[in-house]
Amino acid sequence: MYNDMPKVDLKVVLLGSSNVGKTSLLERFIDDRFNENLPNQSTIGAAFASKEVCVNNIKFTLGIWDTAGSERYQSMTKLYYRGAKAAIVCYDVTNLESWERAKYWVRELRSVEETCVVYLCGTKKDILDEGKTATPDLDIVERYAAGIQCKFYLVSNKTGEKTSELFDEISKDYISDPDNLHSVMEAITLTANSKTDSRCCPIG
Amino acid sequence: MEDVLDEVVSSEDLKKFERVYHEQLHASNVTQNAQFEYAWCLVRSKYSADIRKGIILLEDLFNKEGEALKRDCIYYLAIGNARIKEYTKALSYVRAFLQIEPGNQQVQHLETTIKKKMEKEGLVGMAVAGGVIIGLASILGLGIAMAKKG
Repeated sequence: MYNDMPKVDLKVVLLGSSNVGKTSLLERFIDDRFNENLPNQSTIGAAFASKEVCVNNIKFTLGIWDTAGSERYQSMTKLYYRGAKAAIVCYDVTNLESWERAKYWVRELRSVEETCVVYLCGTKKDILDEGKTATPDLDIVERYAAGIQCKFYLVSNKTGEKTSELFDEISKDYISDPDNLHSVMEAITLTANSKTDSRCCPIG
Repeated sequence: MEDVLDEVVSSEDLKKFERVYHEQLHASNVTQNAQFEYAWCLVRSKYSADIRKGIILLEDLFNKEGEALKRDCIYYLAIGNARIKEYTKALSYVRAFLQIEPGNQQVQHLETTIKKKMEKEGLVGMAVAGGVIIGLASILGLGIAMAKKG
C-alpha cells in the first residue's frame, strides 16, 4: 500500500533565532528557490519537509524539521530535536544576538543529544558581499567551530551559495558512519523483499 | 511533506506541559505561555476529548491575548478542528489566516492537507450537499414563517 509519510533515514533539525533564514535554507534545499518578494513569515511551531538524496549510489531520505525561532517555542523546540542525527544551527552573520543564540543551541544539543552531529551555519553571506561587516568577526566563529569540532558553513539562501554543499556534507557524513550505512542498507533490502513477495503471488 | 495532521504528541510530553499548566492554575496565575504550550500538546493528542479541550484553551487565548499569539492560535485552531473532523471550521480558520498572510506556505500546505483528507473521506460532496440542505431549510423556514403570518 502507498504511504504518504516517508520513511526517514536521517532526521535533521534546523535551529536558530527567528528571521535568520531557517525556512529559506530548507526551501533552497528542497526546491532550489528563494522568494525575495515574500515578507518574512515566522514559522509556527515547526514545519517538516523531506528529500531523497543519493551518495555513492546509495539512496536515502532526509527528514528535516524546521523549528520556529521565536523564543515562545523554546521549550517546545526540544521535542523536535529529540533523536535528530544532525542539527544545523543557524545565525545571521550580521546579527550578534543571533550568534549568541546559536551558541546556546550548540550547548543545549551537546548536553542533551550527544550523538547529534552539529553543523554551524552563518546565513545571509550576500549581505557581507555587499560590504556589510560580519558580527562577530568570522575568525571568531571559525575558531569557535574548530574548538568544538563542528563544521562551519557560510551560506547565502538568496544566491544559493554553499547551501547544497552543506546538505551534501551532512548526507556524506551520515552515510560514512558504518552503523548508519547498515541501517539504510537493511531498509533497502526490506523494501526490495516486500516487492518481490508481491510479484510472487500465484496466478489464478 | 509529512502530514501535519498525523503528528501526535507523546503522553509524557503532554503530561509534562499539563503539570506546568495545572500548577499555575492552582496558584491562579496561568501565564499565556503555559496555556499555549499545554493547548499545543492537547490539539496534537490521540484523543478527541483532549483536542476539544485544547481548542477551548486556544479560543480563550485568542480572545484575550496580543496580536503575535493570535496568529499562532489560529493555526493550531485549524489543526485541532481538522483533527476532530470539523473540516468546515478548520478551513474557515485557514481562510482567515490567509486573508492576513496570503502567501504563507505553511498555512497553504495545511489547507491542501485538509482538503485532501476531506476528499479521502468523501466529504467534499457532503459539504456541498450540506450547503444545499441548509439552503433548503432556510427556504422552508421562511415558508413556515410566512404561512404563520398568513
